[in-house]
Amino acid sequence: MNPKIPIEMIVNGNRVQAEIEPRRHLVDFLREDLGLKGPHLGCEQGACGACTVRVDGQIVRGCLYLAVQANGKVVETVEGLTAQGVLTELQDAFMRRNAMQCGFCSSGMLLSAAELIEQQPQATREQVREWISGNYCRCTGYHSIVDAIMDVLEAQREQTQ
Amino acid sequence: MKAAAFDYIKAQSIPEVLALMREHGDDARLMAGGQTLLATLNMRLSEPQILIDITELAELKGIELSGEHLWVGALVTHTEIENAPLIKKYAPILQAAAPHIAHRAIRNLGTWGGSLVYGDPAAEWPACSIAVNATMVVRGLQGERRIPARDFFVDLYTTALAPDEILMGTEIPLANAKDVFSFQELARRHGDYAVAGLAAVAKKTSQALSDCNFVFFSVATTPVAAVQAQNLVNGQVVNAELITAAVAAARAEIETMEDITNSAAAKSHLVGVLLERALKKMLAD
Amino acid sequence: MELNGEQFIAASVPVVWRGLNDVAVLGKAIPGCETIERISPEEVHAKVMFKIGPVRARFAGKLLLSDVIEEKSCSMAFEGSGGAAGFAKGRSRVELISAEGGTLVRFTTEASIGGKLGQIGGRLISASAKKIADDFFEAFAKELNPHASEITAGGAV
Repeated sequence: MNPKIPIEMIVNGNRVQAEIEPRRHLVDFLREDLGLKGPHLGCEQGACGACTVRVDGQIVRGCLYLAVQANGKVVETVEGLTAQGVLTELQDAFMRRNAMQCGFCSSGMLLSAAELIEQQPQATREQVREWISGNYCRCTGYHSIVDAIMDVLEAQREQTQ
Repeated sequence: MKAAAFDYIKAQSIPEVLALMREHGDDARLMAGGQTLLATLNMRLSEPQILIDITELAELKGIELSGEHLWVGALVTHTEIENAPLIKKYAPILQAAAPHIAHRAIRNLGTWGGSLVYGDPAAEWPACSIAVNATMVVRGLQGERRIPARDFFVDLYTTALAPDEILMGTEIPLANAKDVFSFQELARRHGDYAVAGLAAVAKKTSQALSDCNFVFFSVATTPVAAVQAQNLVNGQVVNAELITAAVAAARAEIETMEDITNSAAAKSHLVGVLLERALKKMLAD
Repeated sequence: MELNGEQFIAASVPVVWRGLNDVAVLGKAIPGCETIERISPEEVHAKVMFKIGPVRARFAGKLLLSDVIEEKSCSMAFEGSGGAAGFAKGRSRVELISAEGGTLVRFTTEASIGGKLGQIGGRLISASAKKIADDFFEAFAKELNPHASEITAGGAV
């Protein structure tokens, strides 16, 4: 009855092996077993977005994804993506625009924003607002976050012209 | 909150899934995207003994052209529908609806089949599946059977799927150049459960609409088609007078249900608002 | 949350009254009822597995009868604890009225649901309660009239 299951995955470029209870969700595994405190837990119902991480190149709610499901997959958190330099433009823009206060939502915001920039490079301000509506922020009032994301989108559009 | 303990098995074949379902009955839960299931378990609103992960089953995947139909497998994610060229061409209303489902991170995992078998009154896919005249293909220990979408959603959270059956996917008749559609969802915030919604599909020849499907969601316990309004509009030139009549018919025939956002009367009002907007849009397209 | 309605049952008033007071009948009619026990003429305890959509919540419930007028009407106070899922509490008044071909069961109910189920399920509490009531009456009627096919007109409004 509920034996632990052996799993193996790549987390932020490193091969990780463990034996875990099926019910343990990915964010608890990342935070508690691997010490990666980047992703946060807010609601554990999938509504707030603080737990957003990347699995096989897509953002997912880490609280609605079991660690056992990540077996054989590539998992990336804000720590890994920062090290790779994937988030640098966004992080610079966030700092310039004061888009972070307490920082609780920021990991999720950055990961969400990164997927938007990659998938919808022509996004308008309205589309940015719609996209990040799945990430709750209690501090900033959102405008500065949208400004930061628009900065990156616009810079990217200018470059490709 | 953390889920109660459960066993987990990643099924490798459909016979294996059906055998496990038979063995465990209601103590087992099937997991596809898990976006509703895991939230339910995290809140301890359900404590199953075993989770059967079906995400490896190839027969449930894929969006394919198959003769006269578009096959959409049960495991196709909302994001895949949002991006697929075949959906854009042959079932465009689905692509219009997809961005309304929750938020991107959830759409990356949540599935077409999962939404259909839960049959949440506020869900987009049940209404859309009826609007496109989809046929559900289900399989159980007795074999396979086909259920038209309009007969699939029976009651609150209750579909025609038997407890020992699994949804394989849906067959959707191909849209062509004559098809017009309108998808609308009213919600307090983007991604919230719908307050009221309408999936409308029809065939248009000059200014007349036919083969109309006006399927409302989040106004009753299941998606509901405004049959009288459809009959009124079918084969007729759409003008202001017809729109007014259709709106009145829809408001009269649909028994709306109140919920946490609106009274039944407010929902009836919104039924008319949505239908008017849909007819005008389809006329203009 | 309020749930009021009228259900016609093709059985006489005494039969319906007996059925409503018979824990064996109630045990079969209440959707998801796992155990039911009469503690005293006024008190019934039951364990019910509440199943709707993704939810599976086991409630330990208590029913207390009062203002009983034989074969006519009674009041009920009920409360149930669903563990982590939440809790429910309410009161109901049931009246039996003789009608052509059977009995009209008129009921008014006021209930509140708290805890997780109330928060998350809140948007569909009324619809869920109505479905449970409809399912209950369908099963109850079948218990009283195993040969009759369906119950006619009525239901919760």
